[in-house]
Amino acid sequence: MSRVLAIARRELRSSFNSPVAYGVIISFLLFTAVSLFFLSAFFTMNQADLRQYFDLMLKAFAFVIPAITMRAWAEERRTGTYELLLTLPFTEAELVLGKFLAAFALALVAILLTIPVPLAISLLGSFDPGVLVAQYLGVILAAGAAVALGQWVSSLAKNQISAFLGAAFAMIFLVFINALANFLQFGGVLAAILNWLSLAFHYEAFSRGVADSRDLAYFIAFGVLFLYLSTWNLTRRKWS
Amino acid sequence: MGSSLGPSWARRELRISQGGTVIEARELRKSYGEREAVHGVSFVAETGSVLGLLGPNGAGKTTIMKVLTGYHFPSSGTALIDGMDVVEDPLAVKRRVGYLPESVPLYQDLSAAEYLDFAADSRGLEGAGRRAAIERSVESCGLGPVYRRPVEELSKGFRQRLGLAQAILHDPPILILDEPTTGLDPNQIIEIRALIRELGREKTVILSTHILQEVEAVCSRVIILNEGSIAAQGRPEEIGETLKGEERVRLRLKAARQGDRLDARRLEALFARLPSLRSAGELREDQLHGVFSAELAFSPSSQEPGELLFDWAVANELKLLELERRRLSLEEIFVKLTSEGGAK
Repeated sequence: MSRVLAIARRELRSSFNSPVAYGVIISFLLFTAVSLFFLSAFFTMNQADLRQYFDLMLKAFAFVIPAITMRAWAEERRTGTYELLLTLPFTEAELVLGKFLAAFALALVAILLTIPVPLAISLLGSFDPGVLVAQYLGVILAAGAAVALGQWVSSLAKNQISAFLGAAFAMIFLVFINALANFLQFGGVLAAILNWLSLAFHYEAFSRGVADSRDLAYFIAFGVLFLYLSTWNLTRRKWS
Repeated sequence: MGSSLGPSWARRELRISQGGTVIEARELRKSYGEREAVHGVSFVAETGSVLGLLGPNGAGKTTIMKVLTGYHFPSSGTALIDGMDVVEDPLAVKRRVGYLPESVPLYQDLSAAEYLDFAADSRGLEGAGRRAAIERSVESCGLGPVYRRPVEELSKGFRQRLGLAQAILHDPPILILDEPTTGLDPNQIIEIRALIRELGREKTVILSTHILQEVEAVCSRVIILNEGSIAAQGRPEEIGETLKGEERVRLRLKAARQGDRLDARRLEALFARLPSLRSAGELREDQLHGVFSAELAFSPSSQEPGELLFDWAVANELKLLELERRRLSLEEIFVKLTSEGGAK
């Protein structure tokens, strides 16, 4: 565990020594707040509902999380530090977990900094704190899943740019696929499959304030799968 | 700048019996896709020695090091570090090895201090031992003046030394250094070579280089690699002997007496009188008339070419202005090794 933390600490130091971390956090906060208050006619609805805000957070993840994770492996390979990491006494799983923790922590900071928004809105009406907890749980789970996905893409990508684009496309697909399925009025099995794959579909209950164990299991399995795939990818490279 | 190693290294207890085999490669092969970079290489390295891998770019030096450090797995064959297989027990191998890759991997966003801090974390160093290890590395690599500076501001020389400081931080019994002196200025090269020699007294060091003098300056054994195979191995002096075959001397001369004009034809006739002369290169007349220079190759004989030439010059009323023994360049060594079917 201490070796996992060593990796995570190194990652976070690099992130906060450069403008990357601050840029990502600020753009996440700006995007969600501006969209909520100015673009989505929040005030004209005359209703203190936070669902929209949490939906926006998931949409923001489609580009914010890839911006956090794009460097993970692609940058290490470009600068050669990849070779350092793989020849220091770490297992592949420790490297993957350490990087995951660092990126997840950065996403958590961004998420926690949104708390003033629901608190301010709660002054306008009465709020169920249980709903808010479920909403935040959903956002945190989705962020974890997205970070695992983004790092896996980075472990395959040649450079940061393709890592970003690859992860962003994957996220956009996972966030919007169920909306597309509904829009095109797919029916039956196809719709069920697309819904089941979709991050947005599993996120929906959370953003309404309902924590469903099936959705919880989906996000955790999703994250674990991509962490495993990244580990496998590192091991595979040693033989090539 | 960099001070040589303090006595703290020497006092350290040896963790491996003196002179034992610590690194062993058996029939190592490594392919990248279709291309095989190393074709069945076997060698051993012992404690208290510096083994040099010498060869041009693409000879397989770096690939061998990547296999020994567990970065790449071999396609076939085995690599043992302290008796442990790099494929089966990679973590234990990595703990015992300090590695400086050719690319000198550093994190640009960190300071030198933060970088070494990460290395110490990864090695599980704690408390007083950790502080002492960092201090010792910083001192032996002369990093004091840049310790707090960000890596991206460091010169090539300091980057190289920071990479080396990372490799020796945990006082590993085995050090693998890929071209450790590239990018250093001559003074730094001397310092780093002295440091490597010092480390080689009680550790097992493998270094790669394409500079012949580097091998002669620091290595106790050398393996010459060419196109992924061992072309020759032995002590540097032995390799020199096998390669000798002929001795090359460059000289400048003129007639001993004033007014006695030399010409090329007469000189060539005189060269023919030299015992054990194998061939004479092109004769060139200086802008200063009557002064000629040429490169001569002698077959091996009991007599030194220099001595022969002095006697010959005196006997033929010539004056030697310059006499220089030519070293074989690495390129010439490879031409010889590959054209004459290898030295061993």
